[in-house]
Amino acid sequence: MFSQIALGTMEQGLMYAIMVLGVYLTYRILDYADLSVDGSFTLGAATATSMIVGGTDPWLATGMAFIAGTLAGLFTGILHTKFKITPLLSGILTMTALYSINLRVMGRANISLLGSRTVFTDFAKLPFMEEYGVFVLCLISVVCLGSVIYFFLQTELGLALRATGDNELMIRSLGVNTDLMKILGLSLSNGLVAFAGSYVAQKVQFADASMGIGMIIAGLASVIIGEVLIGTSSIGRAILAVICGGVIYRVIIAVVLQLGLEATDLKLITAFIVIIALVSPNIRRSLSSLLKGVQGKEAQ
Amino acid sequence: MLNVREILKTFNLGTINQKIALNKLSLELFPNDFVTVIGSNGAGKSTLLNAIAGNFFVDSGKIAIENADITRLPAHKRADMISRVFQDPLSGTAASMTIEENLIMAYRRGKTRRLRPAIGAKERDIFRAKLEKLGLGLENRLTHRVSLLSGGQRQALTLLMATLQKPKLLLLDEHTAALDPKTAEKVLELTCNVTEQEHLTTLMITHNLDHALTFGNRTIMMHEGRVILDIKGTERNNMTISNLLQMFEKASGAHMNTDRMILA
Repeated sequence: MFSQIALGTMEQGLMYAIMVLGVYLTYRILDYADLSVDGSFTLGAATATSMIVGGTDPWLATGMAFIAGTLAGLFTGILHTKFKITPLLSGILTMTALYSINLRVMGRANISLLGSRTVFTDFAKLPFMEEYGVFVLCLISVVCLGSVIYFFLQTELGLALRATGDNELMIRSLGVNTDLMKILGLSLSNGLVAFAGSYVAQKVQFADASMGIGMIIAGLASVIIGEVLIGTSSIGRAILAVICGGVIYRVIIAVVLQLGLEATDLKLITAFIVIIALVSPNIRRSLSSLLKGVQGKEAQ
Repeated sequence: MLNVREILKTFNLGTINQKIALNKLSLELFPNDFVTVIGSNGAGKSTLLNAIAGNFFVDSGKIAIENADITRLPAHKRADMISRVFQDPLSGTAASMTIEENLIMAYRRGKTRRLRPAIGAKERDIFRAKLEKLGLGLENRLTHRVSLLSGGQRQALTLLMATLQKPKLLLLDEHTAALDPKTAEKVLELTCNVTEQEHLTTLMITHNLDHALTFGNRTIMMHEGRVILDIKGTERNNMTISNLLQMFEKASGAHMNTDRMILA
C-alpha cells in the first residue's frame, strides 16, 4: 500500500517536473512570469487525448502536444513583444483564449482514455517494464529533457536567451534581437508544459478542461522549493534543483493528503507555499534590520 | 567615418513636458578621431549617443557610418559596427552569468548566435590573455559570476567586451563617473591604451573638463541639443578649463554647472 503511493507520487512528481522545467525557463531564465502555462498544460492534455481517441499513434500525439504548446507560447510572445502588452496580461490573455480552444480541441469538457493505447501502455510491454514502466519512462524523459535544456543553455543561442532575462539592454547592444529570444523562450517553455500535460493525461487516462488551473502556481512553488533546498550556484545545479523541486512538491502534496486534508484544499496549500517562499526573504531582512536597530540602541 | 546630419529628436511630443533633446544636430567624425563631449545636464549628450546606437529612431535627419545609412536600423543590427560602455557599471554586463560567458557574448557581437557550444579552449586562451592585460587578476576567475566583481572590475570588463571585437565606433557614456577616483583613472588609462592600439574611432562623454581636454584629439561642447563648440589641434592644445568655461558662457548665454564640472 505505502510503496504503491510512493511509486505513484514519484511518477507524478517526474511528470510535473517536466512542466516545472518549462516554468523555470520563463520565470528564472527569461525573468518573465508567464501565466499561459495554465492553459498550455490543458492544451497538451487535450491535444494528445483527442488525437489518441481519434486513432493517432500516442507517441506522435505526445509530440503534437509539444508543438501545440510551442504555438501557445509563440502567441504569448507575439502579444508581448510585437504589441507591447505587459507580460502578465499577455499570459492571462493566452490562458483565457486557450480555455475555449481546449474545449474546441476536445469537443467536450472531458475525454476518457480508458482502454486506449498510450505511451505508457506501449512502454509497459517492454521487458521488465510491467510494474515500473511509467516511472522509468518518466525518469528517462526528465533526464533527457533536463540534459537538452542544460546543453542548450550553454550554446551561443542559449547564452543570448539567458542574457535577455538578465540584462536586456546589454545583450541588445551586442546584436541580439531580444524580442526573438523572448518568443523562443516562451515557445520552448509552453511546449514543455504541454508535453507534461499530455503525459499526465495519458497516465490518469483522462483529460479535463480545468486540469491546468493553478498549474503556474504549482510550477513556481516547485521552482522555489528546489532552489531553496538544492541551490542555484550553476546552471546544471539549478536545473537539478528545479526537477527535484517538482518531485518534492508532489511529495508534500501526497503527505498533506495522507494527513487527511481534502484534494480540493490543494490549491490553497500551494498558494500558501508560494506566499511563504516569496515573503520569507523580506521577513528575514526586516528581522535582521530590527535586530541591528536594537544593537545600535544598546551601543548608545 | 560617422556622419550625423541635422538630427532632430523631441521627447513627449505634444505634451506639457515636450522637450527638444536634439535640435538639428550635425557632427562628423573622422577615422581614428577620439572626441570628448562636454555640456551641462540635459544638453543632449546621452541622447546623442542613444540616437547613434539606435535605442530610438530620430524624428528627422540622417545618421551614416562609412557611407552606410543606419538611420532606420534597429539597435541590434547596428551592433556589429557600434559598441558601447554605459555609465552604470551594472548595465554593461550580465550579473548572473560568468566572466567567460559575458566575454563570449561580446566576442560574437553582431554575429548570428548558433546552436553550438559557446565556449571552447581557444576562446578561453584569448580571454585569459586579454584579461591579463587589464592587470586585475580576472584571468584566473573566468568561471566566476560577474555579480561577484566590484564596480571598477565590471567596468573594466565592459570596456574589454566593447573592444574584443573591433567596432567601427566606440561610444563611452561617462563610463568612469560612477567609479572612485583611483579606479576611474585606471579605467581611463585602459581606455586610452585600447583606443590607441586598436585605432578606434571614439566618442566619449565626460563631466570632467580636465579629462575632456587631455584625452583624445578633439573636444565638442553641447548645449540645448546642439554642438556649440568644436575644437581641435593647436586651438585645443592652448585651451584651459577657465577659457573653456568662458567660451561656454559666451556661446550659450548661460552659466555652466561649474562645481560639478571642476570637481568631477
